[in-house]
Amino acid sequence: MEKLKAAHKTKLAAQADELLSRSSKPGSLSTSSSSVSLHKMAPSHRGMTYEIIERQLEVGDDGLTPLPSKWAETDKNAGLEISADGQDVKFVGPSKTLDHEAASTRSDNPMPAQCGIYYYEVSIISKGKEGMIGVGFSGASASLEKLPGWEPDSWAYHGDDGKSFCAATPGKPYGPTFTSGDVIGCGVNFMKGCAFFTKNGVFQGNAFRDLRDVRIYPSVGMKRPHAHLSVNFGQRPFMFDIDRMVSREKQGILDEINAANVSNLHPTLNKDELCKALVAQYLSHDGYVETARAFAHEIRAEATALRGTHDVKLEGYLSVEEDHDAMNRQQIRTAILDGDIDKAIKLTNTFYPHVLQENPQIYFKLRCRKFIEMMRQSTDFLDNSTSKQTKSITTNGHSTAVSDDGFEPDMDLDEPITTKDGGQHNGDDWDRMDTEEAVGGDNWGLKYQTLLEVIIRYGQELKHEFKDDRSKHVTETFTDIFSMFSYPDPRKSPQGKLLESEQRVPVAEGLNSAILVSLGKSSSTALERLYKQTVVLVDMISEDGGPGSFINVRNLLQSSRKSWQR
Amino acid sequence: MMSPNSSWESLRYTVRKTYELVPLNVSTPSLCHEVTVSPRFGRFRTKADLGMALTSDLNAVIMEYLISEGYPEAAQRFALEANIEPELDVDSIQERVEIREAIASGDIQNAIEKINELNPQVLDQDSALHFALLRLQLIELIRKATATPDGDITPALTFATTHLAPRAPTNQEFLEDLERTMALLIFPPDNLAPPLAALLDPALRQEVAQRVNQALLLSQGERTKATLYDLVNYRSWANQKAMEAKKEHLPERIELGFDPAHNGHESSPSSSSLRQPDPMVTGWGPY
Repeated sequence: MEKLKAAHKTKLAAQADELLSRSSKPGSLSTSSSSVSLHKMAPSHRGMTYEIIERQLEVGDDGLTPLPSKWAETDKNAGLEISADGQDVKFVGPSKTLDHEAASTRSDNPMPAQCGIYYYEVSIISKGKEGMIGVGFSGASASLEKLPGWEPDSWAYHGDDGKSFCAATPGKPYGPTFTSGDVIGCGVNFMKGCAFFTKNGVFQGNAFRDLRDVRIYPSVGMKRPHAHLSVNFGQRPFMFDIDRMVSREKQGILDEINAANVSNLHPTLNKDELCKALVAQYLSHDGYVETARAFAHEIRAEATALRGTHDVKLEGYLSVEEDHDAMNRQQIRTAILDGDIDKAIKLTNTFYPHVLQENPQIYFKLRCRKFIEMMRQSTDFLDNSTSKQTKSITTNGHSTAVSDDGFEPDMDLDEPITTKDGGQHNGDDWDRMDTEEAVGGDNWGLKYQTLLEVIIRYGQELKHEFKDDRSKHVTETFTDIFSMFSYPDPRKSPQGKLLESEQRVPVAEGLNSAILVSLGKSSSTALERLYKQTVVLVDMISEDGGPGSFINVRNLLQSSRKSWQR
Repeated sequence: MMSPNSSWESLRYTVRKTYELVPLNVSTPSLCHEVTVSPRFGRFRTKADLGMALTSDLNAVIMEYLISEGYPEAAQRFALEANIEPELDVDSIQERVEIREAIASGDIQNAIEKINELNPQVLDQDSALHFALLRLQLIELIRKATATPDGDITPALTFATTHLAPRAPTNQEFLEDLERTMALLIFPPDNLAPPLAALLDPALRQEVAQRVNQALLLSQGERTKATLYDLVNYRSWANQKAMEAKKEHLPERIELGFDPAHNGHESSPSSSSLRQPDPMVTGWGPY
């Protein structure tokens, strides 16, 4: 079983595909012997796939819920013989028994309620004399000395009289009798709390209702010599088209979901508005400012066309254009992504004066990043000078103008940078220096020299600023970044990858999260929360085979991709 | 036709294995409480990569919404900002947007022409939708005619007799809709009974525009509805079912927790750093 599960795990993807093709020929019993052996390795049959829904209390180490896979040698009456593979069961007991005596067995594992509907089939190889055979299910405590259905906590359909027996109550007329050569199916719908049987692939109707909170095992029983049954726990195709039943149940659930009243989600917004709000909040929360703006703009255009007036006041939830905070964060992020660390620090200190004080590790990262950016520019300087290009290498050139929101479009970067200790940095020389255009061909060596001196001065200052911090992180970072000096071309140093612009991203992300946290904002969006809550809630209502068993939220999420990513 | 149960359940399992999205014991009150205030913790044990995977999935949901609902500018921006590279067919979005705008602004004739240019079968196959559009056109004609006291109602009458009347007998609902619409000619527009007033409400145009959008998406072989709508429904439905099943420790209302200050007024550093309480706890705040 362990091996089987392992194989199952690795073949899940292939299985899904196979299932798709397989279910296109419902009811087919023809299975080549090769595919049967394949299924033993990877039980890819539709019935068997139910096992993949796990139950918290029962899951094994590998997270799989064990499914009924064979008749349990340890859970059978002495009058029965079970084949080596656990699939066949024969009556070998005495031929003369009392009327009520019989022999039953149960499967190794219970039916997993979380699957929603569980189904298995039994082939009657031989009915034995009188055809006293019961196919059904029972709890672990039900006696195996009788046929299932004759005992409390057991339920079954009997072949000799076609009656259904529910927990030791008198049998009720249910279906036709069954005999050698017939295939009897037994299904439990845990969501509806009912059980049904099939004969040779034909649905016989519900036999039992009000099965609540049951922990039941497939069970068969027989009474006469030569009775011989073979079970199919899903290793092979079923005769009955269980897929159709499951998809019908699922459709019912989906219809219910489609008709769901979403008013419990928000007191004032309707569904349409709620979706817009979720999108708008997501965009501005995660700092997709341009998108948020475009979205608000298009919503406004939509509303304008609808109302026939330009005097459209957008609802508060869409007021992204007024969200200075998101724009501030966007500005800061852009500054870092452009390599303009001083600007990022300055903006942060302007908009969120406490953030850097309260997050010294982020401040440290920024200061180190500035050093790296200087190194980076020194390499640009080398390149530019060799190619005799007169190219501005200013850090200021990137400043993002934000003129429509009341902020100064161009932060005056020639102003002394004020750090948390109020000191002024030699690094300012850098700013002044590199704003000079035209790196002339004849004096570039001198310029380069000056540049390196500025970098060294900044490095010394950096080291001085954090001299009290003896933490491993700080010292190691210093070792790393200062080691770049030892190389004529820092890009070729072991730490060269720090110079890459992608390395700015984690710095920007770190600062952005710190700002969000400082604002008392959650670090997740409402959409993310909505999704996670849905997953939890659906799990809750799948546990005991409830309606959640039939749906999959994660898949839903991924289906959104299919429509535009091909 | 997909075999729903088997394949998706396999995936569902795979997902759990891959991302370790493992629900913990439900009946632990503290954990469940955390779910409601902060689903990041508590019942979810997530690997670091879940965050990444989820982000890209949620980005996909957003992207799909922007495309399907017809926000081409935002979709293009989003592709850039979120660094996703769909093969964005802006033209096809744009076509739907133009149709939506035509309907929204009451230019139904133009909308119908555009729809037929795009795919004449859309309206041929959906007579109810076609009728809804024609009736909208009639409403606009009536609106125009009744806007002034001496307005000419002839165009409206002509339109009704030539375009709507022949279709009305095919369907009882069409007939009733037509009759109700014609009643607009009789009653003064400033004091209408609610069912009649609804006909003049822009919401009707919006509704028809949405139906047209869905029909166009369907004709292009796309999902008619963005996943985001489904997600919202799933969430409501699952919540309701969990309540009905009387799951323990389920709060009356699980907040989505939009940030309370989603406007610019509190963005000044002093007020924002002082702002209390935690939005995760208070949930839906004022907008």
